[in-house]
Order: sequence, then C-alpha cells, then structure tokens
Amino acid sequence: MIRFEAVSRRFGQGRPAVDRVTLEVPAGQIGVLLGESGSGKSTLLRMANRLVEPDAGRVLVAGRDIAGQPVEELRRGIGYVIQSVGLFPHWTVARNIATVPRLLGWEASRIAARVDALLRLVNLPPEEFRDRLPAELSGGQAQRIGLARALAADPPLLLMDEPFSALDPGTRRDLQAELRRIHAETGKTILFVTHDVEEALVLADRLAVLDHGRLLAEGVPRDLLADGAGPEIRRLFGESGLALHRLATRAAAALATPGDAASLPALPEGATQKDALLLMLEQGARAVAVAPDALLRWDDLVRAR
Amino acid sequence: MRRGLAPLFFNLSAFVAALAVAPYTAPLWRWLFPDLQRPLWDSRSWFALLAEHLALALGAALLAGLIGIGAGVLATRGAGQRLRPLFDALFALAQAVPPIAVIALALPLLGFGAAPTLLALVLYAVLPVLRAAIAGLEAVPPAVLDAARGTGMGRLRILAEVELPLALPVIGAGLRVALVLAIATTAVGAVAGAQCLGTPIVTGLANGNAAWVLQGAIFTAWLALIADRGLRWALAG
Repeated sequence: MIRFEAVSRRFGQGRPAVDRVTLEVPAGQIGVLLGESGSGKSTLLRMANRLVEPDAGRVLVAGRDIAGQPVEELRRGIGYVIQSVGLFPHWTVARNIATVPRLLGWEASRIAARVDALLRLVNLPPEEFRDRLPAELSGGQAQRIGLARALAADPPLLLMDEPFSALDPGTRRDLQAELRRIHAETGKTILFVTHDVEEALVLADRLAVLDHGRLLAEGVPRDLLADGAGPEIRRLFGESGLALHRLATRAAAALATPGDAASLPALPEGATQKDALLLMLEQGARAVAVAPDALLRWDDLVRAR
Repeated sequence: MRRGLAPLFFNLSAFVAALAVAPYTAPLWRWLFPDLQRPLWDSRSWFALLAEHLALALGAALLAGLIGIGAGVLATRGAGQRLRPLFDALFALAQAVPPIAVIALALPLLGFGAAPTLLALVLYAVLPVLRAAIAGLEAVPPAVLDAARGTGMGRLRILAEVELPLALPVIGAGLRVALVLAIATTAVGAVAGAQCLGTPIVTGLANGNAAWVLQGAIFTAWLALIADRGLRWALAG
C-alpha cells in the first residue's frame, strides 16, 4: 500500500535525517515507525504526503510514485493525524471533521451524515459534540476528533504522527484500543509513528525501528524481539524489560494446553502472553484460562523463551 | 447589551447635540472673546465638516488597512520574510515623519485638497496595521498550519479560511489604532485645504481668530475620544 524506496533527506549540513530507508506497509496493516527523537521517523512519515520531499529515492502509494501527483489531491486522499491535533480553533467539531469532504465538494447532506457517522465511530455522541468548539474538548476528545477528521473522506491510508503521545496514560490506552477496533472495522492501512515501545507493540502488525535516520530492523514484532536481537534493539526496548516486551508480541493461545479451566481467571480473546503474566500476578494464580477448555500455566510461560 | 455601550451612546449624542447647538452659541463666544468681530465659526456647517472629516479618516484607515495587511501577509510567506525588516523600517520611518511635513512635501506634487492629506494619514497609520498583521499571522499555531497543509488545503485557502480569521482579533486591534490615529490626525489636512474639523483651526490661525481655533480644537479632540471609545467597545466583543 505504501512503499519507501531508498529515500533520503538531509536538512542543512550534517547527518541526513533519513538515510536510504526502504520500507513497505502492506495494505490493511498497521505499520509502526519506532524510534527516539531525532531518529527520522516523523520526517519519513511526512514524506508520505509530501510535507517533506525526499532528496533521493521515491515513495509509492498504492503502487504509484507520489512525486508526480498533484500535491493537494494526494493529501486529500491520505488521512493525517498529528500529536498536537491541530484542530481549526475557529471551526466547530462538525466543520473540522468536514474539512476534506468540503474540499472535495461533497453535498451538505452527505457531509452532515458522514460527520455524525464518524462521531459515532470515535465514540462521541453526535448531538452532544457536533457544535462544540475545539477549546471545549478534553485532550482525548480532541484527538478523537482529529482521527475522525482524518477518516472523513474514507482515505485508504492514514498517517499518524505520535497522535497519542501528549495524552494521559489512561486516555492513551483507551485510544490505542479504539484505534485497534477502528482499524479492524475499517481495514485502513496505517503508518503510525511513536517513541513509546509499549504503544508500538500494542498496535504494530509490522514494526520498523529507526535510529539516526537509518532503518535498524523491520518486520513482525515477534521476530524483531526474538532471541538474538541486536544491541540497538536491546537498548531501545530496555535490557531488563525486553523479556516482558517479547511476551507482548506473542499470543497467549500459542502456549495453551487442554484442560478444565472453568475455575481459573479468564483472559480476553486475543490476549498476549504479557496479559497472561500480568493476570497471574494480579490474581496470584499459577494458571489462567485462555478458553473454557484450555489453560496457560506459569511453568509453560516462563519456560517458553 | 454589552458593557460600555450606554456611556458611548451618551457621549455621541452629546457630541452631535453640541454640533447642532454650536451655531446658536454666539453670545457665549462674544463674552469669552470680546475683542473679536466674528467670534462664532459660521463659514461652513459643522455637520458638513464632520462628514468630510470622517470620510477622509475612514478612507485613510481603509487604505492603511489594505496596505498594512497586504504587506503583513507578504512578510509572513516563505520568501517574503526577508522583506519584513525592510517593511518595518520603511513604515516606521513613514510614521516618524510628521503628517504636516508629508503634506508640505506632497503639496507640489499632489496639489491642494484631500490627496496630500490622505497620503499623510496613510503613511502615519499604516505601521500599527502592519505590525498587527504580522503578529496575528505569526500567532497562528504551527500545528494548525501543519494540519491545514496535511488535509490538502491550498495556500490561498489556508490564508483566507484559517490564517486571516485566526489573526482577525489582532489585526482588528491594529485597524482600530489606525482609525483612531487617522481621526485624531485628519485635522492637519486643513493646512492643505482639505475640509475637516481642523478647518476652523487653520482658518482661525490665519485670521488671528482664537475663538475659531478653540471651537475647532474642541470638536476635533472630542471626536478622537469618541472614536477611541467606540472602537474599544466594538473590539471587546
């Protein structure tokens, strides 16, 4: 869906912000760019809608080189969400969400219906929020509107630049879960930038780790965190926390054994091994239920590495 | 009703009433200036002078607004940023030259009347608009501009629908200053023969008639005060 081919970009003198990065996010997946500040992850993301132009290499969206495409048309076809949200402070929530549909010349009735549908999608009651101004929203609500604005014209691709980084931890976790749900409902391709290791592991179908403009590693999170991860990866994820992060990349069901689990604490569907470990610690249990007839034992969990 | 409207309305009514009553105050001025033959200004209606005064001031403020906002927009675009120190220095110099000097210099070129007065007023009033326009446009949050670009809005649309509306309160304050400066300064136009509330002052000076000077000065200063209060009220929202 989106493919970077050997793209580089240098600002002024010194080291390039992005250095010969080749990367692809397949259609319908969430690709996370993970890195510390200065790693070039935002610069790379901003090349996808030509807010930054590469010095070398090319970017393909849906198989087409974007360099030759009319820039405003390209951007209207790509959702864009940023950390500071950037809602237009003088417009109501509804008008903000309608930004791209208005640019595309949709009819008023179609826009109004779309606005309400999107407000429901991001879990804000339309009749309550439609006419509010951005100043009357909490940080979490504002970013929900930011997400709704990005989804307004139903673009197949979404660019999200640290969208939850400025939010409180609780709100951030809620929005991560909502994004997962919305992604499952809409099937969008998402390129997501973050410096938060846990957030990356919660969201990523594919994970790319950037450092000083270079691509350190790229792939399915489970493989990236497997034994034998390089020293940079170990440093980024934290030596001591690596084992826990690794558990977060594996499904609890993979270690389940048959047995009567009716009386055990139950994990939700799709839970990771990290969820299982935390539930055991929380409940003081030596096993948890993955399904009514399948359980995951402490011994299997700690032996699995 | 917003606060401050009642006193303003009262002030304005008193001003208009004073203009209307002025022609009937001859005894007062004879008593104050017993040595003058014609102590009461009666060469031209006060309302006609007021209308001409306001037309000049409004015209000048409008021109200053167009020039100031235009220059402000230019000075906040990519390449135009290099022009900003130039504009600022130029407009500051324009304001530093006393309007009376501008009129004197412009007289040979533009002749007598409204033209040199307008020029002097515009030069005098354009700096606050420029500075307000730059300040207002610069205060637009970068995140908002990033979002505007990222959603595929074009440059002109971003300027018209996002930047100028967000900068409007600040630009409005600059326009208010420009209008008040213009209203308060228009009186010098009388030197160039432009009809305004300053006309009795200049005519009085020329004829050694202190009473006319005083009458012109009272109405000129009063109007400047009303303009200031009125715009402050209008901008307070």
